[in-house]
Amino acid sequence: MTTGSGFAEATRALLHEALDRYADDGRATALLHGALHRLTGPLRIALAGGWRSGRSTLLNAILGEEVAPLDQGEGSPRFTWYQDGPEVRAIAYSPVAAPQELTVTRSATGLRVGPAGWRPAEVEDIVVQWPTRALRQATLIDTAPVGGAGDTGAEEVLRIADAVLYLTRDVRDSDLRAMEATLGSSGDRTGAVNMIMVLSRADEVGGGRIDALVNARQLARRWRRDPLVDALTIDVVAVSGLLGLAGRVLSETEYGVLATLAQVTRAGLEPALLSADRFTTADLPVPVDPELRRALLDRLGLFGVRLATTLIRTGCDSRTRLSAELIQRSGLAELREAVARCFLDRREVLRARSALDTVRRLAEEEPRAGAAGLLARAEQILAGAHDLRELRLLAALQGARVRFDGELSAEAYRLLGGSGVDLAARLGVPGEAGGAELWEQAQDALRRWRYQAGIAFRLAERRAAGIVVRSCEQMLSELDAARRWAS
Amino acid sequence: MVPIWLDALDEIARTVSAHGRTDLLPWLRRKRAQLLDPRLRVLIIGEPKQGKSQLVNALVNASACPVGDGRTTVLPTVVRHADAPAAALVRALPPADPPAGQLPAAVDRTPMTIAQIPAGVAGRIGGRTRDGAHVEIGLPRALLAAGLVLVDTPGADRPDAIGDTCSASALSLADTVLLVSDSARELSPVELELLARVTRSHPNVAVVQTKTDAVPHWRAVADRKRRQLAGAGVSAPLLPVSAVLRLHAASTGDKGLNAESGFPDLIGHLRRDLARKADELPRRSVTMVTRTVIEQLAAPLRDELAEQDESDTAAAIAKLHAAQREVDELRRRTTRWQNMLADQMADLLADIEYDLRDRTRQILRLVDETFERADPLVGWETFEEWLEESLLEAAEANREWLAQRCEWSAVRVADSFARYADDVLPEWALGDRSLGGRSSVNGEAVAGGLPVVNQPTVDRFTVTQKVVAGMRGSYGGLLMFGLMMTLAGMPMINAVSVGAGVVFGGKSIRDESKSLLRRRQAAARSAVQQSVDDFFIRVSKDRRETVRQVQRLLRDHFTGLTEELQDAIVQSFRQAKQAADVATAVRDQRRGEIQRRMRELAALYDRTQRLTGRQPAPAPLGTGL
Repeated sequence: MTTGSGFAEATRALLHEALDRYADDGRATALLHGALHRLTGPLRIALAGGWRSGRSTLLNAILGEEVAPLDQGEGSPRFTWYQDGPEVRAIAYSPVAAPQELTVTRSATGLRVGPAGWRPAEVEDIVVQWPTRALRQATLIDTAPVGGAGDTGAEEVLRIADAVLYLTRDVRDSDLRAMEATLGSSGDRTGAVNMIMVLSRADEVGGGRIDALVNARQLARRWRRDPLVDALTIDVVAVSGLLGLAGRVLSETEYGVLATLAQVTRAGLEPALLSADRFTTADLPVPVDPELRRALLDRLGLFGVRLATTLIRTGCDSRTRLSAELIQRSGLAELREAVARCFLDRREVLRARSALDTVRRLAEEEPRAGAAGLLARAEQILAGAHDLRELRLLAALQGARVRFDGELSAEAYRLLGGSGVDLAARLGVPGEAGGAELWEQAQDALRRWRYQAGIAFRLAERRAAGIVVRSCEQMLSELDAARRWAS
Repeated sequence: MVPIWLDALDEIARTVSAHGRTDLLPWLRRKRAQLLDPRLRVLIIGEPKQGKSQLVNALVNASACPVGDGRTTVLPTVVRHADAPAAALVRALPPADPPAGQLPAAVDRTPMTIAQIPAGVAGRIGGRTRDGAHVEIGLPRALLAAGLVLVDTPGADRPDAIGDTCSASALSLADTVLLVSDSARELSPVELELLARVTRSHPNVAVVQTKTDAVPHWRAVADRKRRQLAGAGVSAPLLPVSAVLRLHAASTGDKGLNAESGFPDLIGHLRRDLARKADELPRRSVTMVTRTVIEQLAAPLRDELAEQDESDTAAAIAKLHAAQREVDELRRRTTRWQNMLADQMADLLADIEYDLRDRTRQILRLVDETFERADPLVGWETFEEWLEESLLEAAEANREWLAQRCEWSAVRVADSFARYADDVLPEWALGDRSLGGRSSVNGEAVAGGLPVVNQPTVDRFTVTQKVVAGMRGSYGGLLMFGLMMTLAGMPMINAVSVGAGVVFGGKSIRDESKSLLRRRQAAARSAVQQSVDDFFIRVSKDRRETVRQVQRLLRDHFTGLTEELQDAIVQSFRQAKQAADVATAVRDQRRGEIQRRMRELAALYDRTQRLTGRQPAPAPLGTGL
């Protein structure tokens, strides 16, 4: 089942209609063409968050290389786009000057961007092309910090992005306000489908004790149950960008140093790991150059060093295994899974939603004959989009706002595409299963959920069951079509 | 001996009462109690998750305040000395809340066990009444026994979130404020704003940089923070500490580690503050308090001063000007209506006379025409009646027209007064009553005075006259023809001559009769003319009088009206002037009063400034007194 295709088709038709209506308006035409183009391009995911919330670190961790400048000065550009491209290049766009090609130098672990005479304050957007698998499906956009000097506002972020990863160290009121603003501007408050909240810097939780990451994960679960956060986001994930990045770019040298350190017993190393100062200056039974130690601290942080040495002692005896473990523990894998599940699998829906937003904004900002009709159509498409309802229900199931008895919750989650949107994944059968079996399963599920829709006690649950029924019906009609096609 | 700053504080309280700002008094009372309290109240503020509670724990070497991953501190926590560990949830009782004054007012203390502290601090004990509640923890510690009271507050990520929401965490009651910011980053915009806010009202602020253990380059961060502080103009020392090291050192008894944790510096700082609590701190506090109070007191005065200049006087002066304008306007209008009335009446008179003349002429023309043919002797009675009627009719029409014109003129003149009143016409209704009355008298006068046009007397042709005239004519004819006959030899008196005599006699009778008629007609015409002329003269005189009377009437009426109006306007002008004078006087008095108060405030400010032994800064009055 190709999710969202009907929705996307309807959106495309609406865009063409809007193009007809606004044929004489150059700006509108460009806007609509852009939206049409975006319907097929890679999904745009923006990383938003407060000041020092760890956007660049997380971006690097996701890309697996140090692409984003880690220490941004005062005047960072509003948006930095990281997109897939045949070759490495970076172009700066500014409202006052012509686009400027920036020199890109590769370093051991990534690239450095920026020629001499580059005044970041004047640059609005930087587009970095970077040939990498991670960017093939999605373009990542680093944004200026929320509430900072170059705050672009939620409106702007949503105008350019289809989905948002909102980073926060500790969920503050200001964060919630910023997230709410992002939602509010998109004009529908029934539930967010395009935002994941990321508890970044998970390694700093609880003062960097050894169980920091576990605690962070628990914290994320707790936030997921928070009604306000639940209404704003589709998922909450705890990530340590620093550890993730370290896992992705850990070098053999660094592993070597860590392995040397791990030779010291835990009790022996403990005093040295009390503070960063101590770690760089303490006398250790093994010879490790202070410079290397400092570099290691920069790479992993004190918590990272503590974790890595423990991991090596308990069996991660090669760089690859340590890297894998670090990535696993950092929550990066979880984040990628969440992004894939919530964003990439639903990219058609999210892109179409952005396009609808474009039409809606255009019709509202430049009303003319027929604009009201466009608006109404956009609303209609949005309201009728079953995929959006699926996404919202998934979020509700995850936040336990809607609950079914026993295994039914899990099944609903699966049927709605929570664990993958193809038919087999939805129906919970092996991928190679034939059409007949799928048909059987779908019929079964349909019967079960029709019954549920009848007997569910609370209104929310009856509605939810109704949505699951609709999903089953869609699957059946798709199977039907496939069968007719085959015969 | 009463410390000098206490005198100053009391004086401020007196000033505040004198200014009627009793709302400030409770605050001052609390401040006084706090300053007299020998203990040092340390308020620990900052954004969430910066290690505030851990800082408190490390200071007292005990896990007094719960630390955790989520938001743990919800209620402010006060840690003070006690002989044995104890804890309590303290709530201000609702009725005692409104005055917000008296610190030791009615409070509700719920003792807690040590194990309950985390739940209590997280606000999960005691149900709904979270507002104004705080947790008190007593610990037997030398540092606390020396007089230190630590107040841990919930994290605030907005500058305005730190406020006097609860008396325990009230900023105004703290002796020392510690802003906690961890080593991961430099000061955030929120923190900088918070600092700027706090240092404005607080003499004693320090920034504590926590978690130096976790960050390798914390020194660079500290340098940056110091630069930021200097850049923001905040004179607060920066103290880097590591609670982890301190707690570890405490558990192992490692002196070196303790020194490394940075806590000895912090404790030294707090102890110095404590030592200064007896005198120097209160002095600075009082200075600050004075500044705040004076700003609060001076602001309304200043506003009033500024406002005064515009509103009051402006209104009075405007009224005065308006009255002045009214007077001028009235004067202008008076001249105008007077001219108008004179013009109107002159025109009226001319028009009326012409009209009367016109009407009588027409009558005369008719009379002329009549007597061209008619014999005055025939139907004279009828004629007389007709003439009388026509003349009366003319006089009546003329009078009516006069009445209308008079009314119209009056209305025109009254128009000049339209802006003062709608109904300013004289009370007499023109035309109907007074003029009508006059007219009837007039009519009578005309009728009575209308001369009976005498029938021309000379003109009757009597029989004797006829005989005489016939004789005269026949004599000539008889003689002429008799003589001619004599020539023919005929007798003088013969048939022919007698016949001629008869013919001639008849002709002369006819001629005589005709000429008599002419004379009669002429006499009648001239008699009529004369009588009409008389009539005209009388009536026109009468009209003239009427017009003059009307003019006089209107003039008197409108003059009276003008005088009334002028009186009213002059009166209001006088009142406006008086009001303006009074307003000016009141304002001057008030201004003097305000200036006196401002001077007093300035003097008070100077005195309290001297408490700190520094050169007094200019008073924050902002009026350039």
